[in-house]
Amino acid sequence: MSNTEGFRRHGSNSYIAEFSQSEREILINLTEQIIELLAERVDHGHEDPLAAMVGITSHDSPPEDEVLHRLLPNAYADEVDAAEFRRYTESTLRNKKQAHAMAMRMYLKSAVDNIVDLDHDSANAWLGAINDIRLAVGVRLNVGVKTTEDLEILAPDDPLSAVYTVYTWLGWLQETLVIALMDDSTIA
Amino acid sequence: MVKTADKIEEEIAAIFSGDQPWVTIVWDDPVNLMTYVTYVLMELFGYSKAKANELMLKVHNEGKAVVSTGTREEMEHDVARLHEFGLWATLQRGDQI
Repeated sequence: MSNTEGFRRHGSNSYIAEFSQSEREILINLTEQIIELLAERVDHGHEDPLAAMVGITSHDSPPEDEVLHRLLPNAYADEVDAAEFRRYTESTLRNKKQAHAMAMRMYLKSAVDNIVDLDHDSANAWLGAINDIRLAVGVRLNVGVKTTEDLEILAPDDPLSAVYTVYTWLGWLQETLVIALMDDSTIA
Repeated sequence: MVKTADKIEEEIAAIFSGDQPWVTIVWDDPVNLMTYVTYVLMELFGYSKAKANELMLKVHNEGKAVVSTGTREEMEHDVARLHEFGLWATLQRGDQI
């Protein structure tokens, strides 16, 4: 899974990567999963519409789903403070994460010849989205409990083996974009 | 959720004492790439590559690092931005680290 050379800087505010058709499809699929996952957390109906309008939600406890919890973590160790902060900020955080994933999806969908060309801001959105995908996949792979060695010796027919391949590939892709961006900021 | 009287008193005392800054802490995470953490710290806080790299290494080697200091509101803002980019961050009173 590495037909691409990853991202490279092209001029002062342009970061380009060329993907294979299958890489592009996998990335589109992953962004859609993140968008759907975050949407599951949206409040359903029965809350104060004015509160909803200003971004206050009825959620004051962390998501039970481990992946969502990693994407929307507590801001305080103290549970009371964490709950209050969450009530006022979680919907904004969800919206921003969805916006990152949607931007990434839009660039992939509209790519001509499988080439994406990002500016600084959209590159940041991509980094955020790729990172959210890696966090989500990392929870499923149990990264941290399982060592790199454990994951590398997964049998080829183990479904997690393919997931791990995508996870490491995403890490590599993210790294190429970070390096291209850092190159830029060193010059600036 | 109702705050206890003790907690409210504690917070009022902190506001008026003025000498108890709050801190934002980034915690080590097995998923986030080291270069990515450095980049996010540079991008969000305007830190030099050297300073951001030093903080990232502290997170990596010691499990956590204070990445910013200020009022509670400022730290809530910093934590929200770090969460947006997937770093594992919390805030707390500076004298309780």
